[in-house]
Amino acid sequence: MISQQAKDSIERIFLHSARTRLPVDSSDACEITALDSQQANTALASHIVVLTISSIAFRFLLVLHFNDDKATRDYFLRDSEERSLAEALMEVGNLCCGAINQQLVEFFPDLGMSTPYQLNGACVPYLTELKPGYLAAFRVSIGANVQLGATLCMCASSPVDFVAHVNEAEESTGELELF
Amino acid sequence: MVDQYVIAAALAGVAWGALAGLFAHRWWYRKRAATQTQSALESQNTALAQAEARHAAEVRQLEQQAHELHALVDTLRDDLAQQTVSADEAREALNALHLQKDEWLQQATRLSTEAGRLRHLSATFERWHEQMISLMAQNHDMHAKNNELSSIVRHVLIVSLNASIEAARAGAAGRGFSIVASEVRALAARSQELSKSYHDSLNRNDLITTATFQDIQAGGKMIAASLASVEALAGQIQSWLEQATT
Repeated sequence: MISQQAKDSIERIFLHSARTRLPVDSSDACEITALDSQQANTALASHIVVLTISSIAFRFLLVLHFNDDKATRDYFLRDSEERSLAEALMEVGNLCCGAINQQLVEFFPDLGMSTPYQLNGACVPYLTELKPGYLAAFRVSIGANVQLGATLCMCASSPVDFVAHVNEAEESTGELELF
Repeated sequence: MVDQYVIAAALAGVAWGALAGLFAHRWWYRKRAATQTQSALESQNTALAQAEARHAAEVRQLEQQAHELHALVDTLRDDLAQQTVSADEAREALNALHLQKDEWLQQATRLSTEAGRLRHLSATFERWHEQMISLMAQNHDMHAKNNELSSIVRHVLIVSLNASIEAARAGAAGRGFSIVASEVRALAARSQELSKSYHDSLNRNDLITTATFQDIQAGGKMIAASLASVEALAGQIQSWLEQATT
């Protein structure tokens, strides 16, 4: 129901959004590695932040995996003690999902995005309960020692087919062009 | 005496000659006058005939023009009648259009009002959000209770294991106690499995509840955005129709 070129497009959009939105500082290195499909429904960390983009034809879930360790806290909280790591990751996830939403709306005019919600990483294997047409996992390395995970889950109720090209030349400047 | 007679006769002859000349002159003059009069009359007759002919031509021309004017008047009358019929039809059509436009205006106003009213659906989504938060809090509480239960079961397992060890130490006297300890351990193991299964169910419940709620929440925003577009469009149509009415 979800065409291969649509899956590729979603992956391209995610990669671009993650590289431009997940690092706190745009100059921080951000490496994203696709994981084996068998790892797509496994927990990559102890906590997750879930966001949903809904359309008439599909719903798309972005799952960000994170561990509440020193390296992650130091990176995302910096000197801030006013908020928790989960809150910081929910904000970052909201930015990343917002960027994905902004790009998807070019192809699907009727879209809405949820607020983020934190869950236990043990919930990830149950993504298959949603009967996704597309499930993919990625390892995200930011800077020297921050490790995050990301799972993309798309459930379609009718055929989804579109092609989105991210202009790699403009990616470094944070600009996006779809054509 | 003869001379007198001759002179008298000559004088008489002269007188008669003069009279004859006078009469002849008068006759000639009258004749010439008559000729001139006749000539003038003939000239006048000719002019009169020409004038009559010209007048007759003018009369014919005027009659022709009058005929043409009558025909034109008839044509214009027919045209006027047709135009009157057309104007009546156009007036009826215009009235029908006015009625239709008023109806459209009412529909656009209603559509705009309905779209504006439906925007308050966001309050419903907020209510669902609160209920989902409540549901998730309840799930969290169940997680905590299940963790406590799991801790108790682990403790029971250890106790039953210790009981089995103590029963074994007691030898034959502890045989019965060993059976009881074994049963307790088996029950604790089953409870542990059940607790783990319950834990998995809660995680599954967390994910499905969250995914479902987020779908509803995001779908709600999608509907709200679409309704805002519909409302804006209905407002535009309403504004156009109102401007057209004025």
